[in-house]
Amino acid sequence: MKVFEPDQKVKIRLKINGKLYETEVEPRRLLVHVLRDLGFTGVHIGCDTSNCGACTVIMNGRSVKSCTVLAVEADGADILTVEGLASDGKLHPIQEAFWDKHALQCGYCTPGMIMEAYWLLKENPNPTEEEIREGISGNLCRCTGYQNIIEAIKEAAEKMRQGQ
Amino acid sequence: MYPPKFGYVIPDNIKEALEFLESHEDAKVLAGGHSLIPMLKLRLLRPSYLVEIRRLSDLSYIKLDGDTYKIGALTTHYDISKAKIPLLSETASKIGDPQVRNMGTIGGSISHADPAADYPAALIALDAQVKIISTKGERVVPISSFIKDIFTTDLNPGEIVSEIQFKNLKDYKFSYQKLERRAGDFAIVGVAVALKMSGDVIDDIRIGLTAVGNGPIRPTKAEEAIKGKRPTDDVLDQVGEIAMSYANPKADIRGSAEYKKKMVKVLTKRAILTAIQR
Repeated sequence: MKVFEPDQKVKIRLKINGKLYETEVEPRRLLVHVLRDLGFTGVHIGCDTSNCGACTVIMNGRSVKSCTVLAVEADGADILTVEGLASDGKLHPIQEAFWDKHALQCGYCTPGMIMEAYWLLKENPNPTEEEIREGISGNLCRCTGYQNIIEAIKEAAEKMRQGQ
Repeated sequence: MYPPKFGYVIPDNIKEALEFLESHEDAKVLAGGHSLIPMLKLRLLRPSYLVEIRRLSDLSYIKLDGDTYKIGALTTHYDISKAKIPLLSETASKIGDPQVRNMGTIGGSISHADPAADYPAALIALDAQVKIISTKGERVVPISSFIKDIFTTDLNPGEIVSEIQFKNLKDYKFSYQKLERRAGDFAIVGVAVALKMSGDVIDDIRIGLTAVGNGPIRPTKAEEAIKGKRPTDDVLDQVGEIAMSYANPKADIRGSAEYKKKMVKVLTKRAILTAIQR
């Protein structure tokens, strides 16, 4: 059993977008703050109350709101942020579809929205519109009215199914 | 928003967790954290230590033991929603949003005992039992006496929920109807129904209400009013009226007490009709 006192720093290791990071945190530190301090500023802080989903990342294969996860809880976890989606300078099909379909205006919700869409399409590669709406119900967008976001996720799903 | 300062304990097994909790009354258990961490941020709680049990995988399971479902306290809403358990899986699928369901656990949810939580409606309809463990041993209590009041359970210091048990309602049809202001919100009113038909007559029925009292409510007289009968409009109206008479909601941002009461009638009828049509 490990016991850490309130002011004691805890050494944690995180695998973020395939690369290993080691850092020290107070027990009360939230994962979202640690990710941003490590340079992953695509992870946004929106409401900070588990409502808006702007801080969504993939942790050990499941989407989570990183404002509601303690960094110590994430010790040893494999984390994917929006920065880890593009590979070899090529955007991920979900990112491309968000571009093509103009699925953003101010862009604040976009990284979280894309990460949730990423998890949704892993779970369900061919979602209906209803399933997409349910799938992104934990992510709030104040600009678009969601219509183009849904169009983008549909397009991404189709491209990903075709293996593009 | 930062939570207040607290110490952090990572036990290697449940026994260590229970021993630490036994000797530290003001420590809190961290399961999925999706009620606890928001409360910490609002400084509604100031525990001395958080005892992390989330990663103790021996409390995360769904077993069908004969005709009894046994669900480990650390099973997530997501895992329950995918397990095709009569009534409970549908209820789990309506909790919060996908990210919340990926982290939140059934044991954490019922230990938190939010009066508007979704599970209690299903659990009271299922006559669920709650297994509680501590260094002193274990005990099992029905959900109806486990949830004692708003945010208040039967748990004593040093005790945690380890398992939820209930009979598999194999031949039952079911529905959980949740009225919410917007996706992902707590229920304004939630009604869980499981029923068994024989021909066009309702042979057995169980109804559970949430968000309309200090804890979940089982309107047994409403159940009696429809058992052995065909679900005609008159009978459904009567069942809805009786269920409504059990409700004692409080007015809040989600609606007036009067509105919530009326919605109990509407949703009870809707849940019964939806279940029958399945």
